[in-house]
Amino acid sequence: MNEENQVEEQPKPLILEKLEANHADALLAQDASRGTVVVVIHKDQVSAVLEYLKTDPELAYTFLVDVTAVDNSQMESELMQFDYARFMVVYQLYSFQGQCRLRVKVPVHENDLNIPSATGLWKSANWLERETYDMFGINFEGHPDLRRILMPDDFEGHPLRKDYPLRGRGERESFNFEKQNV
Amino acid sequence: MGLDFVGQGAGETDGNIITTTIDKVVNWGRKNSLWPMPFGTACCAIEMMATLASKFDLSRFGSEAIRFSPRQSDLLIVSGRISIKMMPVLKRIYDQMPDPKWVISMGACASCGGVFDTYTLIQGVDQFIPVDVYIPGCPPRPEDLIDAVLQVQQKITSGASPKGVEVVYE
Repeated sequence: MNEENQVEEQPKPLILEKLEANHADALLAQDASRGTVVVVIHKDQVSAVLEYLKTDPELAYTFLVDVTAVDNSQMESELMQFDYARFMVVYQLYSFQGQCRLRVKVPVHENDLNIPSATGLWKSANWLERETYDMFGINFEGHPDLRRILMPDDFEGHPLRKDYPLRGRGERESFNFEKQNV
Repeated sequence: MGLDFVGQGAGETDGNIITTTIDKVVNWGRKNSLWPMPFGTACCAIEMMATLASKFDLSRFGSEAIRFSPRQSDLLIVSGRISIKMMPVLKRIYDQMPDPKWVISMGACASCGGVFDTYTLIQGVDQFIPVDVYIPGCPPRPEDLIDAVLQVQQKITSGASPKGVEVVYE
């Protein structure tokens, strides 16, 4: 009668077991439901955990698919969950060896937007982190060339933040031709 | 073309002399050999390619010679959305085209921003460059682009100057 009891217990993914064994203090939350493994990592240990995920021979998450961020400022429940951290930096990883994906989330507070850069581990993090900086204003420490990548160089503000007006702040009517390098 | 036969019924010159004006001859040439400069940034460019390809075949109207150098073209087809980062590039390409030059603003995005009423998109290229013919649609069908080219041809035939040229009458 009770459907929940009929569902078979899925075996715990290897990645979660290994993270619990080696980086238990960095692991803020985990979820493996619906076939997607998600871990939330404390910002102070993000470099160590990412390096572990890449270099561990059993895990070998060698491919950084995407780096992006989420602005939770209009989602009260998400904000409260991790000590009112407004932003969540998201790393999407893929392991060719295990043919499995992993999503690593890192809460970032609005008053401290610094987070260590992953460019030392994955070269592909370079442009992805530039995009995240451009759109959200996350400051990736140790990035070799943290400039805007999509918006013009003289653009002010970070347009994917929830408090940025959709129609802009008048820049589309008043931008300066001559100042931009063509 | 403004041809007039003269010498009707005057013996040996009968019907063998024609008169016209330089302007009309030159405009006739311009009209039938428009060389478009494509500025395709979005799905409208796909329709533009279809217009140029064999099925719709813009060469029937004399403008199949697509030039990717603005210095060799006289018809700018802006097909697609233009961001504030792209607008200086478009402006520079327009400035590099030799006079006389005509501009077609193809589709809703180029003409008014379309559905992209956002911080980064130009709400109509006519704020920055003069546009002769607008095409509505999202994206417009190739027939619409052909119609726009024919309207440009009409404009040339009628002797009207392009929108971007200031005519000084002496």
